[in-house]
Amino acid sequence: MQAAVKAIEYFLPPDVVSTETLAAQFPSWSVAKIDAKTGIMQRHIAAPDQCSSDLAVAAAKKLFESGACSPEQIDFILLCTQSPDYFLPTTACLVQERLGISTTAGALDFNLGCSGFVYGLGLCQGLIASGQARNILLLTAETYSKFIHPNDRGVRTIFGDAAAATLVTAEEASEPLMGPFVYGTDGRGADNLIVRAGGFREPRTESVAETDRPGTANLYMNGPEIFTFTLEVVPACVNRLLGQTGLSIDDIDLFIFHQANRYMLEHIRQRMNIPAERFFIAMAHCGNTVSSTVPIALKEADAQGRLKPGSRILLAGFGVGYSWAATLLRWTSSGH
Amino acid sequence: MNRTQFLTHMDELMELPPGSLTGSEKLDEMEEWNSISMVGFIALADEHFGFIVSPRNFGSCNTIDDLLNLIKPLQAA
Repeated sequence: MQAAVKAIEYFLPPDVVSTETLAAQFPSWSVAKIDAKTGIMQRHIAAPDQCSSDLAVAAAKKLFESGACSPEQIDFILLCTQSPDYFLPTTACLVQERLGISTTAGALDFNLGCSGFVYGLGLCQGLIASGQARNILLLTAETYSKFIHPNDRGVRTIFGDAAAATLVTAEEASEPLMGPFVYGTDGRGADNLIVRAGGFREPRTESVAETDRPGTANLYMNGPEIFTFTLEVVPACVNRLLGQTGLSIDDIDLFIFHQANRYMLEHIRQRMNIPAERFFIAMAHCGNTVSSTVPIALKEADAQGRLKPGSRILLAGFGVGYSWAATLLRWTSSGH
Repeated sequence: MNRTQFLTHMDELMELPPGSLTGSEKLDEMEEWNSISMVGFIALADEHFGFIVSPRNFGSCNTIDDLLNLIKPLQAA
């Protein structure tokens, strides 16, 4: 059996922070400047009582309402988040109950950021190829906004909250519909994208949480270091994947990379000589939503008619960890 | 890329009028030398000099000229 992406839906919480709002709060940054550097016009932000499970459930309900499948058919839930509702229990268990998914289904969380969706597809393929599951609900859900200090203009302009629900099913097919997968990890980058306080290494106390400046309880990102990391690993990762398959850039119908920010993506695209018409960017309406950027872009590419049955898509995720992964996808259905 | 062209690029990265930078400016005294202009410098080094420069590499640079001296030998190579 071959694992295939059958359907994707995503959910953005209703509260919006526009670029105009940020430009008004940080007068030295104009709307035009923020747009030029990020390509983001608005970010959706979870309400104070809205957690990752809420976003994931909303995305999954859209998936079920689309007719792609019913909750009863799901036999495994994989949920990727770094901002869970609780330390424990597992967010995927909360989601199982709220969606009415069978108690015979497996469910687990995994903690990755921007590489999470591609890793999730890799896990789905393993579960399906080994006969452990047939209909997997792959959820990516983040509320990074809860980590972000209101005065940190750099990360506030970039990140938005979201969840995506992807149905991955077992299909009879003569050739693989996803894969191969290439992965990469470099923990030396841990300090460059981190929420330091809140676990047990450095408990979150009032003194670190309640300050007028970003502190250890907040998301910290070293943008220049992350940019360098991206230049070092993404082209090499993509070339490793292409090398394994004997394909070239010309053989790929659409490239969908983690939607970090438009400036970085454009630089990488030009460096790799990928034609603009085969490089998809869809983040203006929602920002960098971490593990949901790739499924959101896939959904938008499909909605815009950029994907046809049989289209060969190259996906790459990279970021916090450092962690990165890339794979190929054969598009099997169009929902539009 | 010669020195004048480099300085013009750095003017643009730091959102200064063309011809502003002379090269001797001290980076730690320039508020324009921030994370955005650092990202721009990394992109410039990659695009024009074919060298992936890390903030660890340019942490020891004191002036604009030091930035050029960091990446210029790599263009010749």
